Amino acid sequence: MSTEMTALETAKPAIVSRPYLLRRLARDPLALVALIFLVVIVVAAVLAPMLAPFDPYDTNLRMRLRPPSGQHLLGTDTQGRDMLTRLLYGARTTLALGFASIVVGSLIGTSIGLASAFYRRLEGPLMRLVDILLSFPSILFGLALAAMLGVGMDSLVIALGLSAAPPIARVARATAASVMQAEYMDAGRVIGLSDGALIRRYLLRNCAAPIVVYCSLQFGETILLAAALGFLGLGLQPPTAELGSIAAEGRSFIFLAPHVSTAASLLIFMIVLSCNLLGDAFRDLTDPKLQR
Amino acid sequence: MGTVGKRAAGCMLSLALATTAVMAQEPDTAVVLRVSDADRYDPQRSTALAAAEILYMVGETLVTLDRDLKTLRPGLAERWDVSADGLIYTFHLRRDVSFCDAKPFTAKAVVGTMDRWINPDFPGVSKWKAGKVESVKALDDYTVEYRLKEPYSELLYQMTQFNFIIIDPAQAATLKDDFGVAAFNGTGPFCFQSWTPRTQTVLTRHENYRWGPSFMANSGPAEVAKVVWKIVPEEATLAAALQTGEGDVSFAVPSWALSQLQATPSIQLLRPEAGFRTHYVGMKITRPVLGDKRVREAISLAIDQSAIAEAIFFGEAEATKSYYSEAARDFNPKMKLDAFGYDPERAKALLDEAGWVSKGDGVRMKDGKSLSLIFYGFTDESFKQMAETIQGDLRKVGVDLKVELYDPTIVWGKLKTQDFDLYQMSYPYLSAGDAMNLYFPSSNMPTPNRMNWNDPKTDQLIDAGNRAVSAEARFAAFAEAGAIIHDAVLWKPLVNEKLVVVAGPRIAPFKPHGISGAPLYDGLDLKLAK
Repeated sequence: MSTEMTALETAKPAIVSRPYLLRRLARDPLALVALIFLVVIVVAAVLAPMLAPFDPYDTNLRMRLRPPSGQHLLGTDTQGRDMLTRLLYGARTTLALGFASIVVGSLIGTSIGLASAFYRRLEGPLMRLVDILLSFPSILFGLALAAMLGVGMDSLVIALGLSAAPPIARVARATAASVMQAEYMDAGRVIGLSDGALIRRYLLRNCAAPIVVYCSLQFGETILLAAALGFLGLGLQPPTAELGSIAAEGRSFIFLAPHVSTAASLLIFMIVLSCNLLGDAFRDLTDPKLQR
Repeated sequence: MGTVGKRAAGCMLSLALATTAVMAQEPDTAVVLRVSDADRYDPQRSTALAAAEILYMVGETLVTLDRDLKTLRPGLAERWDVSADGLIYTFHLRRDVSFCDAKPFTAKAVVGTMDRWINPDFPGVSKWKAGKVESVKALDDYTVEYRLKEPYSELLYQMTQFNFIIIDPAQAATLKDDFGVAAFNGTGPFCFQSWTPRTQTVLTRHENYRWGPSFMANSGPAEVAKVVWKIVPEEATLAAALQTGEGDVSFAVPSWALSQLQATPSIQLLRPEAGFRTHYVGMKITRPVLGDKRVREAISLAIDQSAIAEAIFFGEAEATKSYYSEAARDFNPKMKLDAFGYDPERAKALLDEAGWVSKGDGVRMKDGKSLSLIFYGFTDESFKQMAETIQGDLRKVGVDLKVELYDPTIVWGKLKTQDFDLYQMSYPYLSAGDAMNLYFPSSNMPTPNRMNWNDPKTDQLIDAGNRAVSAEARFAAFAEAGAIIHDAVLWKPLVNEKLVVVAGPRIAPFKPHGISGAPLYDGLDLKLAK
């Protein structure tokens, strides 16, 4: 027990404490704006059923493609549904999709990374597999998987998660490989801890910070990929509102009713940009080399 | 900086020149734009409408169809007689016709054409259109006897279709698989010059042509020296190309682009007198819920087809209440079509009556099961929009529609299964009998009779219509069959699509033909504006 405590104490400085992180973040105005924007969007998305002024599925062809007005603040879409409502629900779906996928992706990626660092004989085959997967552009990989697994939320999450996993696996392995050199790993082994306990208590905890930061960077990319699949028609089936498919649905009418595609694309752009800015800021903050 | 500026200006200039070079077209040439190419230009081996478009210009049929799509007119045959028992058709051929290679057209070509097509060893398509053929013989150089095993009332109408285009049998025998790919020798107003798959097909004027059908304004030779059919796969690009003058004519312009093109003063929108293509939603009556006719009628009444015609087709389609157009031959005007209107209140009442009740605004339930149906559709833009509209309309009466859209490569396979309740489709047809022969005989289950309509009376009437030897008997049989299938509410008819030909300023106004897949027909009326 006491040995374990020591090990954790040794590990501690690697994890930057939360209040310190937030204080440092406040000094980066761009990241702060991104954070506020994301919080607003996430809250709006979560509360969509309460905030939305209309029913997201109530079609009315006679009201279609209306420009923004007093009644419909952002106009109506190709089915005459309120755009603001569709965007709120769309953001909800897209964010949920991105979040679920990144969770799946980080679980798969971290498992592969840690396993290949811990069991050296697995390293070759596992990391070569990751290299093969990385050699495909993620959009191609995602497309192939989505087409193979069919449409639906579950298969989409799996497709997106699997496309996000390879780079996470690589980061996890690199971090884990350096943790493996630490003395507390040897100490843990000497006192007879099982492999499972070693991985869980020492390896995972000490790798967590960089992986989490990397995942926050990947989050934006996953959202973008989800939107791209939706745009290409491999996303969720109608009438589900999803930002990528809203952008696609308005594309034919870009001259007639530019608000449909523009609003959805702009929202995707802002969310992904915010995620990237925030991810960059986190990386800078947690990178010891960049700390003065 | 100065040199860079100059270079940039130079680049702009050459770009502008290149654009004008594209715009300034060859004199005496018409450029037709379309989105897809055919697999080959052999009338007996292709079912693609893209093949028909070109084949009607380079080849001809014995019998032709007037612009009303009902009246038969002479083509390569100047007249024909039919025996009283409806088994022997005797065609008297024109004597002034020659092929593009100057070879005279005789009865041998007709016999060779038919022999090649109906030969069981030949991988031809749509052979059923020829009827049950006993033999096709040349009585002399200009008389052909077409003998059937049983009467076939649709034969002369089917003979106006592109599959019946008379080929040069000697060329087909020499070229084999390359026939309709490397070359095609026909009797049409244009000659097949070259084909670059998925890029363009070039046709040149048949200089000796003088025998155009009576319903064309010009009887030959063609007004333009050359027709170039170009492929522009993206609809939006195609619409833009018409505006910039890169192309002269197209009938593949999507409805949403028409309103934009209409605002361009130099662009003309031309419409044929008649044309038959209907969009519908089919219902599989063997599925648990749809076995109840009240539910089918409720679904039909809940869908507002006039909103679809106005909004999704921008008015370039008319809402319909029958499976095929009222203008189609053998349409029965006495059928009751009340079940195909739009009346959501009546739809709700019917569902209540059938035991499907809802609490509040939610999905209706019966015996603990919710009224949830599976809908298969296409991913194409207008189909997708229609699917969403139908889903929205049904939601308003308490029916939950699970829409599954598939792209063209897999949708046909999916539609062969028994796993869906509703599906969407659009189809071209010649007449009421043609439509019924395709969709409603029990022998056509599971596809295209995806409704699983298995009714001996319908089968018997369609068969009687096919075998009828008089127009009256044919009408009587098809009209009764029509009444039966409409009464059963197997489809929700949506709209009759109106074909629109878009022509640029270089083209003189002309009247398109409504025949399936070939609004320019033989191209005789295609003329450059002076």
